[in-house]
Amino acid sequence: MTSPLRNLYKMNFPTIYSITESEIDLNDLLEKITLSSTGAAAIFTGMVRGVTSRDNPHETVYLEYESYIPMAEAKMKQVAEEIREKWKSIEGIAIVQRIGKLYPKTPTVLIACTAAHRDTGVFEAARYGIDRLKEIVPVWKKEVGPNGEEWIEGDYIPKAGE
Amino acid sequence: MNKIKILFFATIKDKAGTKSMDLDIPSEMTIQQLKEKLATEYPNLKDSLKAILITINREYAFDDAVIPLNAEIALFPPVSGG
Repeated sequence: MTSPLRNLYKMNFPTIYSITESEIDLNDLLEKITLSSTGAAAIFTGMVRGVTSRDNPHETVYLEYESYIPMAEAKMKQVAEEIREKWKSIEGIAIVQRIGKLYPKTPTVLIACTAAHRDTGVFEAARYGIDRLKEIVPVWKKEVGPNGEEWIEGDYIPKAGE
Repeated sequence: MNKIKILFFATIKDKAGTKSMDLDIPSEMTIQQLKEKLATEYPNLKDSLKAILITINREYAFDDAVIPLNAEIALFPPVSGG
């Protein structure tokens, strides 16, 4: 369906991207990316894990996030554009990263994608969104545990044009 | 001369002991030359500069890039959001 009307409609597909210090409001975000043509949403959210058993078992008291906010929001917009390029079926996209001091069980990040149906790549689109955010969006977390604190560093080196 | 702003984040901010600084650099300076200047003037940063990400005006940049006038440069470790 590539009628002029459809193209006009697509131009108004909602894209939300933000770095925030406030609580992530899933219901509000979901409402904003749900259109009358939407029938499916895939939502990924990550939260602070208090007890880690995989790899290097340890406990976390809290995480402190910081961000290079204007660049982070620009890169989130870029991630949304990449999603739309790969999955033409996607209607709404919300990408939100919370920063500041966040305690176990608190949601820290949310990626939600909506589409007309669930078999349109909507799950893969949300997965791609969180994976890309962790590669190119400038946000860092410092982990504070019972025995001290440590900055967590990623391992992805962006290439030219990313 | 070129007046630039440098921002530091995460571990690099801790090592630099500041969030940002203004710096006068020669025009036509490259990122590689800026790294060398910082390594000399801020020995604390020297080891970090080997595995660092650098941006020019909020886009990822690499050693051979020439720093434009009044650029906003940022130095930080690989990102760890989510």
